[in-house]
Amino acid sequence: MEQKLTKKDLWKLFMRLNTMRITLNYETLQGVGFMRAIAPVLEKTYSDKEELSDAMRRHAQFYNSHVNGDAVILAVTAAMEESTGPDEKEGINSLKTGLMGPLAGLGDSLIKFTWVPIIGSIGASLAFSGSIIGPILMFILYNIVNIGLRYYAIVYGYKKGIGFLNDNQESNLIQRISTMANVVGLMVVGALISTIIKVQTPLEISTGSSVTGEVGENVISIQEMLDQIMPSVLSLAVTIAVYHVLKKTKGSHAAMIIVILMLLTIALTYFGIL
Amino acid sequence: MTMTIIVITLIAFILGIDDVSTKMFRRPLLIAPIIGFILGDVQAGLAIGATLEIMWMGIGNVGAYMAPDLITGTIISTSLAIMSTNGSIETAVATAITLAIPTSILAQQLLVLIQTINVSLNGWAKRLADNADVKGTFWLIYPPALLTGAARAVPTFIALYFGAGAIQSAVDALPTFVINGLETAGSIIPAVGIALLMLAMLKKFELWMFLVLGFVFSSYLGLDILPMTLIAIVFAYFYEMITRKTAAGANGANESSKNTGEEEYDL
Repeated sequence: MEQKLTKKDLWKLFMRLNTMRITLNYETLQGVGFMRAIAPVLEKTYSDKEELSDAMRRHAQFYNSHVNGDAVILAVTAAMEESTGPDEKEGINSLKTGLMGPLAGLGDSLIKFTWVPIIGSIGASLAFSGSIIGPILMFILYNIVNIGLRYYAIVYGYKKGIGFLNDNQESNLIQRISTMANVVGLMVVGALISTIIKVQTPLEISTGSSVTGEVGENVISIQEMLDQIMPSVLSLAVTIAVYHVLKKTKGSHAAMIIVILMLLTIALTYFGIL
Repeated sequence: MTMTIIVITLIAFILGIDDVSTKMFRRPLLIAPIIGFILGDVQAGLAIGATLEIMWMGIGNVGAYMAPDLITGTIISTSLAIMSTNGSIETAVATAITLAIPTSILAQQLLVLIQTINVSLNGWAKRLADNADVKGTFWLIYPPALLTGAARAVPTFIALYFGAGAIQSAVDALPTFVINGLETAGSIIPAVGIALLMLAMLKKFELWMFLVLGFVFSSYLGLDILPMTLIAIVFAYFYEMITRKTAAGANGANESSKNTGEEEYDL
C-alpha cells in the first residue's frame, strides 16, 4: 500500500493533535478537535468536494480518549482513510469507537497512574531539599514521555495503519501493557503510602509518675512502638480509611474529604495527638 | 507590585492554554517554582510546589470525576502565600495548602462553564464540514483558547490584586496551632490522592497483593521509588505472563479477548 502523507503532513497532524483538546465540549467532547486535526489529511485524500464534506462530517461526531490514545487513533484513521474504498468508510468510525476506550485506559494507567506519581515523587523529594533540579528533572522526564510518545504514536500508527489493529487483536498488546502498567502503578502507590504520607503522633505513655512530668526511662513513645511493629502503619491506616470512604461515595467527594482531613488535623494537632 | 501581578496573570493565561494543548506544565511542581522565581523566592516556590505536587498526587480527571483546577489553584495559592508571608517558608507552605484547596475547586467551575460554551463550536464545525472548508478549520481553536486562557488569567488577577492584603492580615491573625496543623495536614492530605489512584487501579482483588508488596518494600526495606519501580516492572512482567496464560486457557475456543478488554477499560 502506497502511503501519501509526507513527513511534513505527519508533523501537521502532530501539531493539530496538540491543540485538539482546546475545543473540548459537553456535546461531542473532542469531536470538533478530531475533525480539525484530521481535516488536512482528508483534504489530501479526497479530491471531490462532496466526499471531503462527508468525511469531515463523519469525523465531527462524538469522540473522546486519552491524549496519547488520540495520537494512535488519528494516525491509524489517517492511514485507513487513504486505503479504504468508498463503501468501507463506516468501518473507520467503528474503529475509532473501538479503540478510544481501551487506549484511554492504557493512557491513564501508564501515564496518569504510574509515570506522573513516580516522577512527581522523585521531583518533589529533590525540591524538598531545596534543589532546583527537582522540577527540571520532572519537566524533562514528563515531557520525554508526554510529547515523545505522542509523536512516536503518530509516526508508528500511520506506518502500521490498519495493521496496528490486526496486530493488537492477535497479541492483545493494549491490554497486556495496561495490565503491566497497572501492577507497576499499584506497587509504586504502595511505596508512596509510606514515603509520602507522614502521620506521626507525639503521644507518650508514662509508666512512672505522670504528675511530676519527669522525662525518664519509663516514658514510652507510641510512635516508636508503632514503628517497631510496622513502620508507617498510621499512614497505611489513614489511606485505607480514605479509600473506603471514597469507594462508598464513588470518588465524587474528594475535595470534601480533603477539607475534613484538614480540619481534623488542626483539631488533633491542637490536642497534641498528631 | 502591579507589574509583577500582570506578569503572573500572563503566565496564568499561557499555562491555562498549555493545559488543554501541549500539556507540558500541568503539575504543581512545574508551576510553583516559576511563580517563586518571579516573586524572588525560588526556595519557597520549590517547597510549595513539592508539597502541592504530593498533595494533589493522583488528582486528575479520572473517568467522570472532574478534577479541581490545579493550574489556577497552584498559581494563586503560591503567589499569595509568597506575597503575604515575609520570608518564612513554613508559613508560606501552610498558607499555600490552605489556599490551594478553595481556589482549585472554585476555578474548576469555570472550566465546566467553558466546556458548556464550547458546545457552540459544534455548529461552526458542522458549517465548515458542509462547505468542505479545510482552511477554515484552522481558526476553530482560537476563541476557545482565548476563553480557556482567560478562565485562568482573570481569577488570578482578581485574587492577587485584591486578595494579597486580606490574606496577609488573615495569616498574621492565625494562631500558631492552626499553622502547625496545616503543615501537618500537608503531609496527610496526599492520602486522598493516593486513595483515588487506588480506586482507579484496584480492579481485581488479587491486585491488592501488589499494593502490599510495594508498601513492604518501601516501609520495611526502605527502598526508594526508582529501585522500587524497577522491581515492580519485573513483577508486572511475570504477572502479565501468568494471567495471559490462564486467560488463554479459560477462553480456549471463543475469541472474546478483545471484548473483555473493552469492558475493563471503560471511559
